[in-house]
Order: sequence, then structure tokens, then C-alpha cells
Amino acid sequence: MNALRRIRALIVKEVTHLGRDRRTLAVVLAMPLLQMILFAYAISFDVKNVSTVIIDTDHTPASAAYVDSYASSDFFTVVGTADSLADVDRIFDRNQARIAVVVPSGFGRTLADGGQAVVAVYLDGSEPTAARVGQAFTTALNQVYGQRVTIEWADTQGLDVTSAGQLEPRVRTWYNPDKSSSDFLIPGLIVVIIMVVAVQQTAVSLVREREQGTDEQLAISPLKGWELMIGKLAPWTLLAFAELVAITLVGRWLFDLPLRGSVGVLALGAALFVFCSLGLGLVISALAPTLESANMLGLLLSLLPGFILSGFAFPLSSIPEWLQVVSYLLPARFMVTISRAVFLKGAGFEQVWPELAALAAYAVIVIAVAVLLNARRRR
Amino acid sequence: MSADGRHEGLAGTPPNPDAALSVRGLTKRFGSFTAVDGIDFDVPRGQIFGFLGPNGSGKTTTIRMLTGTSGPDAGQALVLGEDVINHPERVKQRFGYMSQKFALFEDMTVEENLRFYAGVYDLSPDRFARQREYVLTMADLHGRENELTANLSVGWRQRLALGTATIHEPELLFLDEPTGGVDPVARRQFWDLLYDLAGRGVTLFVTTHYMDEASHCTQLAFIYRGGLIAEGSPHDIRRDAITEQVIEVSVGDVDAALDWLEREPGVEEAYLSGARLHAVIDPAAAGAGTSGAGDPAAVVADYTGRLQRAGFADATLVTVEPTLEDVFVNLVARAQQP
Repeated sequence: MNALRRIRALIVKEVTHLGRDRRTLAVVLAMPLLQMILFAYAISFDVKNVSTVIIDTDHTPASAAYVDSYASSDFFTVVGTADSLADVDRIFDRNQARIAVVVPSGFGRTLADGGQAVVAVYLDGSEPTAARVGQAFTTALNQVYGQRVTIEWADTQGLDVTSAGQLEPRVRTWYNPDKSSSDFLIPGLIVVIIMVVAVQQTAVSLVREREQGTDEQLAISPLKGWELMIGKLAPWTLLAFAELVAITLVGRWLFDLPLRGSVGVLALGAALFVFCSLGLGLVISALAPTLESANMLGLLLSLLPGFILSGFAFPLSSIPEWLQVVSYLLPARFMVTISRAVFLKGAGFEQVWPELAALAAYAVIVIAVAVLLNARRRR
Repeated sequence: MSADGRHEGLAGTPPNPDAALSVRGLTKRFGSFTAVDGIDFDVPRGQIFGFLGPNGSGKTTTIRMLTGTSGPDAGQALVLGEDVINHPERVKQRFGYMSQKFALFEDMTVEENLRFYAGVYDLSPDRFARQREYVLTMADLHGRENELTANLSVGWRQRLALGTATIHEPELLFLDEPTGGVDPVARRQFWDLLYDLAGRGVTLFVTTHYMDEASHCTQLAFIYRGGLIAEGSPHDIRRDAITEQVIEVSVGDVDAALDWLEREPGVEEAYLSGARLHAVIDPAAAGAGTSGAGDPAAVVADYTGRLQRAGFADATLVTVEPTLEDVFVNLVARAQQP
């Protein structure tokens, strides 16, 4: 087949380019692993050891026992005590603590009387994640502590509260029982990295060809449009897949990332997703007038939506509604869902087929648009 | 309006399948702008056909249509007897193309560039070995096969680009301003290579705006604002396009003399030609006040006197054979008249 030999010549050429361009090669190969390690280690959304400052104005055994429950918890680290609220302001300003617990005087006496004691908890809201989690932890701690106090008080009164009707929620977290953020992040990160590499490199590679004048030379050669596309995209498709495998393996070794579901479904999803991303890159290359603008557009269309509109970092339900609509215009959100479902929930085809179908439709549409745009550019 | 009327004679006739190129009524519009306006011409096989015109006159647009990369809005084009507009794939293997940009991959070696284009044109290993040898000899690149093309100087890159554009031994080669940005010595060498190709029977279609290169061609066509304004051999065009007398003026203050000439009665056109001035004289108007109307020597004497009286004492005038540049300026001036 002549077509096959022509495509082979193109692939050899693309691989030669990549081999010569050490910097791009290093970026493409090393960045994903580096990013993963950075994200998984440094940008952890796990909140533990929230630094806490205590103001105990009661100074009774009861208040001491209450304060001690913070110190003995994994979630809080008591970094010191203070005398007044003014001190708390200063401590928050210096980032020495995120939570301040104020035990008012009379706390011990109120409890001893069987009354409802009040403690004040102040949260540094400038770091919303820590604040939200800190709030949840303090609420839980106070509930548990309050219950214990109630039981102790009932004991002293000779009552048995355990016989009274009560609702006890037993919360279990499935799929990611430790709520480890690396388990949550890596399946999404894989998607973002593939998207950035595929979109960026495709966008740049065709525009570079145009700037060199080589696209004109190829256009008048017997090389057909689809042969050019396959020859250009095949090396990047393989590379994106190699990265997918590498990230998955490193995720398993370094972060004990579970892979519970069907590898075949993951590969199918990834293949469709790679086509979507390459298609996006082709669209950019048709629209971008220069190499720089292709680079910028590629970054803008892959990195930002990859992080914000894919559900990778924030739950999609927590972004504004109009942005949620926008997120359907990009393939990342479907792939993040597939990736998490397969890695963490052990999903197979029957669970994620709607997302797979969405990706397939997206791939067909975006590649068709790209071919049309590139053809129109030639006119 | 044309130099010899030949292309007007082609309009309405069917395209000639025996010619290397045969074009009828070829038209390309971009929005309301007509880039190429119904041109007709034939290029017989084995010719060096010079397609001349200023930047933006429609040269590259014409080449794009003739290579099947851009569809025309109207007209027909046969390339090597094949309908290139509707079936470019039938003939792509048989023509080559080289542009001013050279279309080499600068991060690849000489060998890799040759190998890539050989792959695109699907050359057999034997044929590639033979063509590789030919190109390396032609471009004087033996021993530099593994050098990156980025490290080659412009002249070598240009010859290598010619080599890659002809690696599949095309019968017809399009060259779009192939000598742009190349020094005169390299340009001379490059034209020797083109003569060599023409000697092997390859038809060459060359665009340029260097008028000295135009005289290397066997056949010329002038395009201006999308329309052909003259066509023929360099000799015919020079003879037919200008019936007026061209006088070359050597003078110290060229700028002032040019201003004066442009306002003087009887001078149709005045313009710089190298360090001198050329003036195109309308013989009827020029001879009006003198005894020897229409006599070139009398016209020269008349204008020498007028220039000296106007204060250009050092002016010396001679009648010259019109150059292609004179022809072109004259044709453009006539085309601009309503």
C-alpha cells in the first residue's frame, strides 16, 4: 500500500523531530511524573493536625478534661494557649493557628448542674478547606464529648440514657475509605496530563509546519489529508498512552492507588479521550495564526479547563451552574468520571457506557470540525 | 492590450492537453477581491516559463490553483494533460514544487530530509539510492549527509530544497520565487541548475520579480492585478510592447532630474533604473518643435538641450534598447490608465 509507506515516512519524521527536540521531550516525559508527585504529596486536600489554640478561662478539672480531648485527637494539634480574643487575632494573623477554642468561665459548674455549657470555636476562614474541615472536626468532637458528658451526668443521677430512644448515624466512606486525596487526585491527574500533552503538542506541531512552509510542500505532494492527520497524530497517541501506563504504574507503586475496575474499559476511554484531545489540538492549529498563539491557546484550552472544569480538583456540583454547562463542552469531565469509576469503584462497561458514548460522539464531532477548518484554511 | 495578442486568442478555445500547462479563464476571488481574473495561457513542454509580476499580483494564487491546493472560482486548468482542479491526485506524482521558504525540516539532517520526501513520493529503494546520489552531487553535499540542514548556508539549503522537490523526477516543476533572499552568486549557480533540469526535458514554471532572471526564461507572462498584461518570448515582448523610444539619462542630481522629467511634455514615463534614469518618450509629442521629428538622434539632442537649459549641465543622454524592466513599467502604466 502506497498510503502505508507515506504514513510511515511521516511517523519516522515526527519521531525524528521529537528525538531532536530534547527540551520538549524532557517536558513531555518528565513533567507528568513530576506533576503527579508534586500534586499527590504537596497539594494534599487531607486535613490533619489542624493547629489549635486554647483559651481556658474556666480553669476547672472539667475544662481541663475538655481541652485534653483536643490534644489527644489526631485531627488537632494544640499549639498553645492564649488569654484573650485579642491574642487569637494576632495568632491567626501570624498563621500560628487555624482554630481557637474558648472555654468560658462557669463551664465546669454548668456541666455539674446538668446545664448546657457553651464553648466558642473560632475558625480562620482565609483557608476555606482547612476551615471547613476544622469546623466538621470540632462539631464531631463536641458531639461525642457532649454525649459522654450526658452519660456521665445521667449516671450520677441514676438514670440510664442508653435505654432512651436515640438515633446514631454510622457513616462509612466507600471506594476511598481513608479519604486519601492521592487516591482521589491521581485518576483525575492522569486525565489532565494526557489532555495537556495531546492538545498542546498537536496544536503546535501543525502550526510549526505552516510557519516553515513545509505544509504547502506536503499539500502538493501525493500525501492525502487523512494520511497527514494519521501520520501526525499516531506518534502522540502512542506517547499519550505510554504516559498513561507510566502514571498508573507509578501511582500504584508510590501511592498504592487501587485499580479495581476493567483495564480494557480504562484503555478504551483513554483512547477516545486522546482522540478528543488531539482533535481539539487540530482545531486550535487551524485557528491559531502563529506558533505563540497556538501555544497559548493550547495551554488555555487544556490546562485551565483540565483543572477547573473536569472535576479533577473541585467537585463539578460546586462550580457555578453556567460553568457546569461549559464543562460539557470539554471532554475532560467525562474521562475524569470514567477514570475514577474504574480505578476506585471497580466500574466496568455497563457503569460508564454513557461517558464512553459521550467521548465517542465528542471525538467524531471535534475531528470533523478540525478537518473542515483545516480544509477551509487551504482554500 | 497584450504584447502579441496570443493569450486573447486562447480565450474560449479548449485547453490543450499536449501542453505541460494549459489554462483557460482561471479565476480566484477572495470575498470581493479578485486575485486572479480569468487568465489564459499555454506552456509547451520543455519551456522555462517565467511568470512575472509585482508582489500581490496573483502569482502565488495561480500556482496554488495549478498544484491543486486551492480551488478556483471559475476556469479550467490542465497540468500534463490532467484536470488538476477536479483530480489533482492523478498528476501530483508527476510535478514538483519549490517555494522561497525551501520547505526543509531544519532539525533533520540532509539524509533524513531526502529520505522523508522519498517516502512521501513512495520511491523504491533502488530509485531512492539513484536519486540520492544525483541530489548530493547536484547540491554539492557529498560528505555532509548527516549535517542538520539548519547548519547549511542559504545557497546549499536552496540547492537541497531543489533536490528534495525533484527527488521523484517530476516532468514539471513549479518554482515560486525560488531565489528570494539569495545572494547573486548563488542565484547564478541556481539558474545553472535550472538550465540543467530544462536540458533534461523538465518544464519549469518560475515566478519572480527579478527582471534580470526573466531574461533567462524562454517564455514570459506578465501578471498585474490578477490579469495577464503581456505574454511572449523576452525578445518578442521587448520588441512589441514598447514602440516608444527609451532614453537613458546619466546625471549628478538624479532626484531633481527625475522630478523635472516627470513634468516635461513628451515624457510618458520616467523612473530610476539602477543609478541612472530611464525616460520613455512619446515620439509624436517629442518631435513637435524640432525639424527631425521621429528621428531618435534628434530626440536625444532635443532633450539634452532641454535638460541643460533646466540647469542639469552634466546630463548625458543615450537611446537604449528597452529592458524587460522598461517593458514592465510601461505595461503597468498603461494598465493603470482608465
